Amino acid sequence: MKNKTAIVFLSFIVAVGFVCLPMSQASAKDAITMGFSISLTGMYAAQAAGQMDAYQLWEETVNNRGGIHVKKYGKKLPVKLVYYDDKSQAETAVRVYEKLITEDKVDVVLSPATTGIHFAVAPMAEKYKVPIVGSTAASVKLRDIKTEYFWFITACVPDRQMEALVDLLKHLKIKNIAIIYAQELFPRENLQFLDPYVKEAGFNVLLRKDYPMGAKDLTTLLSEVKAKNPEAVIALCYVPGSFTMTTQAQEVGLNPKLFFQLIGPAAVPFGPKFGPAAEGLTTMGHWSPKGKWPGARDFHDSYVAKFNKKPDYLNSTLAYASCQIVEQTIEKVGSLDWKKMRDYIAAHEFQTINGPMKFSGTENTRTPSMILQWQKGELEIIWPESTATAKPLYPKPAWP
Amino acid sequence: MDLTRVLQIIFTGLIIGGIYALIAVGLNLIYGTMRLLNIAHGELIMVGAYVTYWLYMLYGVSPLLSMVLVVGLSAIIGLLVCFFIFLPIIRSSKSITVLESNSLLVFFGLSFIFTNVASLLWTADIRGYSYMTRVIHIAGVPLMYNRLLALGVALFVCLACYFLLQKTMLGKAIRALIQDREASQLVGINANFIYLISFCAAFGMAGLAGCLLSMFYEITPFMGLPYTIIAFIVIVLGGLGNILGSLLGGFLLGLLETIGVSVTSPGLRPILSYSVFILIILIRPKGIFGRGVY
Repeated sequence: MKNKTAIVFLSFIVAVGFVCLPMSQASAKDAITMGFSISLTGMYAAQAAGQMDAYQLWEETVNNRGGIHVKKYGKKLPVKLVYYDDKSQAETAVRVYEKLITEDKVDVVLSPATTGIHFAVAPMAEKYKVPIVGSTAASVKLRDIKTEYFWFITACVPDRQMEALVDLLKHLKIKNIAIIYAQELFPRENLQFLDPYVKEAGFNVLLRKDYPMGAKDLTTLLSEVKAKNPEAVIALCYVPGSFTMTTQAQEVGLNPKLFFQLIGPAAVPFGPKFGPAAEGLTTMGHWSPKGKWPGARDFHDSYVAKFNKKPDYLNSTLAYASCQIVEQTIEKVGSLDWKKMRDYIAAHEFQTINGPMKFSGTENTRTPSMILQWQKGELEIIWPESTATAKPLYPKPAWP
Repeated sequence: MDLTRVLQIIFTGLIIGGIYALIAVGLNLIYGTMRLLNIAHGELIMVGAYVTYWLYMLYGVSPLLSMVLVVGLSAIIGLLVCFFIFLPIIRSSKSITVLESNSLLVFFGLSFIFTNVASLLWTADIRGYSYMTRVIHIAGVPLMYNRLLALGVALFVCLACYFLLQKTMLGKAIRALIQDREASQLVGINANFIYLISFCAAFGMAGLAGCLLSMFYEITPFMGLPYTIIAFIVIVLGGLGNILGSLLGGFLLGLLETIGVSVTSPGLRPILSYSVFILIILIRPKGIFGRGVY
């Protein structure tokens, strides 16, 4: 009987293994191999999907142009992605990078998905002296990573992001606010910076309460918020929380003049799901196809054409922009030498679909933090005024 | 705390509890009749949610109609899984212990296969749609139609299930089998037939729960696991193999969570559920309502 158990178990492990196995294999000649680990399964898979798509779109776009010109080889080389599923596990991601660098011997590595996995993988950059341009990671602690080979490009860094939000509130002359936040890393990090800015601005905080990740019912919390009647509700949430609260705020009739949700309204399914109910909701983000940056609209249109859905305004854009930085570096350096690439990335400005980017330390300080708002079925940049594509819609209209 | 607020908390508790009960009754049916712990139960919820979603998005099929289709489809999946995987395992297992451990592994594998196939087919993108989102006021409490519908359907199905078990010959046969597998077979109950029926019913109920949940929550390939865990807590609460116990247990947990959360903090919800779970295991290991067949 023991045998039978073992056989059943093993056969399923094998079956599961097939599903999770590497999706492509490294091949060697006449191409630039770009290796990365990505969360195709597990708890971050939904967030990583937009990044994966962006990588594939970039690969296709570059190869349609004939590839990247590398002076050392005197010709254009096509790009080939090599990737493995890390099952949303940081330790698996680390092993994937070890494998990509030591076994597959990829030419360049791209970044993985989500902040936690970026942290886990960053030491690989130092260990192998391989440049990694981060993408979908946002944390003030990324600044403390002690390596010359790792950078991150997002402007959604909690301290700068919360400062931008409070500036917007001040601009709109809002006084009374309510804060609800998910008991999770990123929302809490934002809260830590929101609190002092709010205090400094002299807002009245009518309510400040937390809820757990995965909470399926927020009606009691939301009706408590409604009872306080704040002008602005600041919800530091992730995508599932955002979906739940947008539905249930309609149910309890909570309609503040400004409704900010940290992560969610910019997620791809949000617009299609909520339609007119999305109107006036604000969220963090620093990209819109309407942004006055070369390639922004093209990226949006070719993404929609290829995948038949909109790109994720955060994850897809960041992933694509990180690839553009790598591409421009290879072209300028003229070889695939990691040290030379590192020196170039650290010192120069890059033109991306999200505007110019330049690093100081590990951080891209060139892109300002912004606030997005749903207006007539499109996410518009409403803050700061220097990059805005539309004026803030204030107060938020009533739910449909 | 005013009356409306109290009523709102109770309504919310009932809605959540109804879904919990629906999920837990299915899980308990399979456990009771076959001593199989279905870890893949939540995955059927996911399948039900996706089927409803796609039918609605691609063909504009009303989720109300999808309920029927989803139940049928999930029941067929249950039938196939039972016939081709579990009946052979039951035949070859020499003792209940061996059966329990083998089936656990198989369900574990099935759960992986379901989630991974779903994420390959439909990608890991979060999905959702809006349906019946009008708000109605009952005794001053605002409620969305879709959640009210979920409560109604869950209540109806759970009660129907209970009466089926109590009043019909088939129900008596199922209860007899839960009570004593060997003895019930001696008096002429066709165990294999009951197994198939239990699987169909349990999978069908999980699919139905998925269909209902898809109307107000987001859909991902990984949405099932939390519900499996909840269902485990509920069946331990209500008593393993005790169908009525799961029904009441579901509502009890739903109410307990909502009331607990509203008087303390939403952050305490998981702690509340698990404390109940541990407390029950310590104090009444056979569940509040015992392990009997009611």
